[in-house]
Amino acid sequence: MNRHGFLAGLMVACSVAGVAVAQEASVADEAQLAIQAAEKEVEAARASIAKAKEYMAMIPEDSPLMPDVTQVLGAASENWKTAIESLKGSKESASKIATASNDSVANDYALLAKVNAGVALSGAEVVQIGVAYIDAIANNKTEALDVVRTAMQDALAASSQVQFNYERVKSLIAQKYSK
Amino acid sequence: MKYDLITKIGLAGIAATLLSLGAGAADLASAAGNLAEISAISAQAKGNLAVAALGGDVEQIAEMSKRADAVDAAVSEGQMAFAQMERAAAGGDEDAASSAGDDLSAALQKAKDALNGVIPVDKASQHQQWKESKTNTGGGPGKPGDAVNVYIKPWNTATVQNMQQNQWGTFFASGVTSGEQVGDRDATPE
Repeated sequence: MNRHGFLAGLMVACSVAGVAVAQEASVADEAQLAIQAAEKEVEAARASIAKAKEYMAMIPEDSPLMPDVTQVLGAASENWKTAIESLKGSKESASKIATASNDSVANDYALLAKVNAGVALSGAEVVQIGVAYIDAIANNKTEALDVVRTAMQDALAASSQVQFNYERVKSLIAQKYSK
Repeated sequence: MKYDLITKIGLAGIAATLLSLGAGAADLASAAGNLAEISAISAQAKGNLAVAALGGDVEQIAEMSKRADAVDAAVSEGQMAFAQMERAAAGGDEDAASSAGDDLSAALQKAKDALNGVIPVDKASQHQQWKESKTNTGGGPGKPGDAVNVYIKPWNTATVQNMQQNQWGTFFASGVTSGEQVGDRDATPE
């Protein structure tokens, strides 16, 4: 009876442990997917920066919207830098998943990689929206300006939230290992 | 005796495994990661809206605006769920933390769905009602090309504006002003 009870318990434990391993594998997969999505957006942002140079040449220097353009370029430039650094950081974290000392550490690296890829993705989105704004000014798409301006403000706020939460994830993980 | 010991070890293993899974469900770091993902989806929704605006197709702009607003609603739900989770975790209430974690996961799914155009009927109808109530087109449904809305705050989305206006409504309805309205005061002696 005891032997049967133990075997049944062992089977349940194995199946539960199997679910746990599957969950960890899924976090690592999610991190890879997030990195792929971020790479795609960063490449799209890179292409849009090349177009931005053409648009800038089309805007007259005495345009009343030039202060807006300067401001948008500043925000886009800052987010571009963040996107590149975050994508690099995300790949570094992902490369440590396979060599982690245990499943918990591997899981934490996967989480860091996934969230940092989100920082890269949102930064690249801000860059593209900034270029869309300059496109609207250069090509006199005045009816689009208000919508793109609002989208830019909201995307900047969203991008800040992603960065804030990445810092929060880092700090929560650090707390776990400092105990 | 030997079997008893082995059985106890087996049961302890099961308990430890189940406990570790429970702790994972209430993991704040993972929840913060979900919150970051929802915000990243919000940035994507705004990017899609900007692309639609450049294209100039009014219907497409309206659709992307609707999706972006639905994602913003999911962002708010996610932030509230995370705050609840933090409070529950600080108070040692594992069940409440786990439940808030589930709400956060649901908000993330809503944001993903909204980005792909799957918006719950209540959110879609709320958006439509808001547009109809805020545009100066004589009562017809609002579209991005309609006359200027004098109440617009360009740095906010429709959802945020609606929430702020509702908050003012609630504030005045609460009676904290004791029947007086802003600006009501005794006449200043000349």
